[in-house]
Amino acid sequence: MVSDTNPHFEDVDAETVDELLEQMVRIRRFEEGVLDEFSEGSVPGFVHLCHGHEASHAGMGVAMQPDDWLAVGGSRLHGQYIVKGVPFDEIMAELFGKATGPNGGKGGSMHLADVDRHLYGHAATIGSGQNPAAGLALAQQMRETGNVVLSTIGDGGTSRGSFHTALVFAAAWNLPVVYIIENNGFAISYSTQQQVGIDSLADYGKPLNIPSYSIDGSDPVAVYETISEAITRAREGGGPTLVESRVTRLRGHFEGDKQAYRTEEEARESNAERDPVTNFQERVIEAGHITAEAYDALVDEIDDEVGAAIQFAKDSPDPAPSTAYEDVLRLPLYGQGEGDA
Amino acid sequence: MRELNQVQAIREALDEELERDETVYLSGEDVGTFGGNFGETQGLVDKYGTERVRDTPLSEIGIVGHALGASIGGLRPVAELQFADFAATAGEEFINQIAKMPYISGGRLKAPMTVLAPSGAGIRAGAQHSQSVHAWTGHQPGLVVVAATTPYDAKGLLKSAIRDDNPVFVLAHKKLMGFKGEVPEEPYTLPLGEAVVEREGEDVTVVATQRLYHRSVEAAEELAEDVSVEIVNPRTFSPLDVETIAESVRKTGRLVVVDETPLRYGTQGYIASRIADEEFFSLDAPPRTVGVEDTPIPFSPTLEDEVIPSTSKIVDAIESVF
Ligand SMILES: Cc1ncc(C[n+]2csc(CCOP(=O)(O)OP(=O)(O)O)c2C)c(N)n1
Ligand SMILES: [Mg+2]
Repeated sequence: MVSDTNPHFEDVDAETVDELLEQMVRIRRFEEGVLDEFSEGSVPGFVHLCHGHEASHAGMGVAMQPDDWLAVGGSRLHGQYIVKGVPFDEIMAELFGKATGPNGGKGGSMHLADVDRHLYGHAATIGSGQNPAAGLALAQQMRETGNVVLSTIGDGGTSRGSFHTALVFAAAWNLPVVYIIENNGFAISYSTQQQVGIDSLADYGKPLNIPSYSIDGSDPVAVYETISEAITRAREGGGPTLVESRVTRLRGHFEGDKQAYRTEEEARESNAERDPVTNFQERVIEAGHITAEAYDALVDEIDDEVGAAIQFAKDSPDPAPSTAYEDVLRLPLYGQGEGDA
Repeated sequence: MRELNQVQAIREALDEELERDETVYLSGEDVGTFGGNFGETQGLVDKYGTERVRDTPLSEIGIVGHALGASIGGLRPVAELQFADFAATAGEEFINQIAKMPYISGGRLKAPMTVLAPSGAGIRAGAQHSQSVHAWTGHQPGLVVVAATTPYDAKGLLKSAIRDDNPVFVLAHKKLMGFKGEVPEEPYTLPLGEAVVEREGEDVTVVATQRLYHRSVEAAEELAEDVSVEIVNPRTFSPLDVETIAESVRKTGRLVVVDETPLRYGTQGYIASRIADEEFFSLDAPPRTVGVEDTPIPFSPTLEDEVIPSTSKIVDAIESVF
């Protein structure tokens, strides 16, 4: 039985529920693997984990078609790479800085790009990815590809003018783009409440008459439905949508963040009430959609895949130092070496 | 003498200046309770309150742009950027506003503001969190650009920057945050616009700051049996103290300029050309430059270590002028 507290549950078919569940578990188990490896010192630099954002990422990913573009933003990134279909092996290798990563080690955790899968990549200067997303959408519109562009950003990033300018362009040109604000209440230590006095960051779309929604981003079904509708509108020429997906950041901003700005009680409550993975797991089991045994089997299967990805990353070679000098420019330049034409 | 690391030195400078002058205030992302990216603002909000230690929304345009207006309005803002790379997101503010408004006003507007940011590579943070920006900011007439090499530098230069009546961009280096050095207990400031000879030598002048200063010291030590290396730390990149470098070259006759910025249109070439212009007949060999070979900073440790000049690259450059 579907419980009354989950009004959306019945609206989507069983296959979609399966997909949402699987994606959420994939993200959580992958991130647990990253956490272990980061603690071991295998992952260079710093990592920001997705705990709490899984439903938002899964709902978005399942709503997209493979040819739709994703320009990722915010700081919770690995889950977005996963739902775009990049295999664990490849993501893990890039996190480890290995030659077998999609960026050949030039990008790392913050910059994974996979153009064949229409994953544009990430502006690690938070909030700089939204205008390129508008441009990607213009390319879809002018070339009539039928593809839509999704672009995510954190609550913090919405303070940047670049974000607002992107909305202005998207509205002015009626672009096929969906902007998703993953509002987890914090920009590192700075709370959204401190930042702006408005109730919902989706209100930023209002003056531009962009259809705007504020949803519970810890409910994968709600995310899936809202983003699906927005994608359909964009694909049919109805222009941009702005969605605020309200989530909870269940860990520190980065691994090692002591979170002195957050009360322990608040963090604990967040964990108990707003963990989208355990909530959805309980919900689907309770609804009889999946048995507890089948769920455990799914987790085991995914853990094996994570383990294999870690092994793959460890076994992969480091990039050859000389590759550092490649990819700066595509050479020769046009006409270079051919004389005046 | 007492030792502090760079983070402690910066915090002490901020604390002393906030204490000394009530027109000084600090603003930036997470400078309050969080205590700054590297801990450099820890405890300041408790001491001075949220009026004078202000957490800001995430916008560098807001952070440095408002500081310009506030400084013109009679305050002495210290605006912090979490990474120096983000100065580019406020490129307009830096290049067209902060650097130019005092000049355009015929000198009537005074902008006594300080921007503080960590720069440099080595923490495996990728192309948008690893840049050294003193070349492109130094390229803007109207900005003073300072780079701290030791904790002593960091404290003394930051205090002077806050007291100076120009916009000053103070760059600390991420990889040197935990680096310890002697810092006197008594308050002091260091002059802006003046280079310092950190190590005396006879045979070759090496100009270097920040992390590559420390690698240059290693290189000098490695070569000590054969070559006597003099090391000049510019401290202020813009405007540059050419005379101190020239004086050193008059003695040594050789010049190697080492810097973490890209070589293309960079600091190394500028310094070498000023010396070539002014001290051509003191030179016994063409000047050498060492820097990042025109690539963004890649993430992977093997790649990042390849593009950032190593001690052995500096050794090679020094040997090549003999
Ligand atoms: C332009 C820019 N300024 C500052 C930073 C440093 N920084 C990295 S993540 C972050 C907070 C981002 O908060 P939010 O956008 O809400 O994303 P979340 O981390 O919550 O996913 C900040 C300030 C940055 N990367 N880029
Ligand atoms: Mg946030």
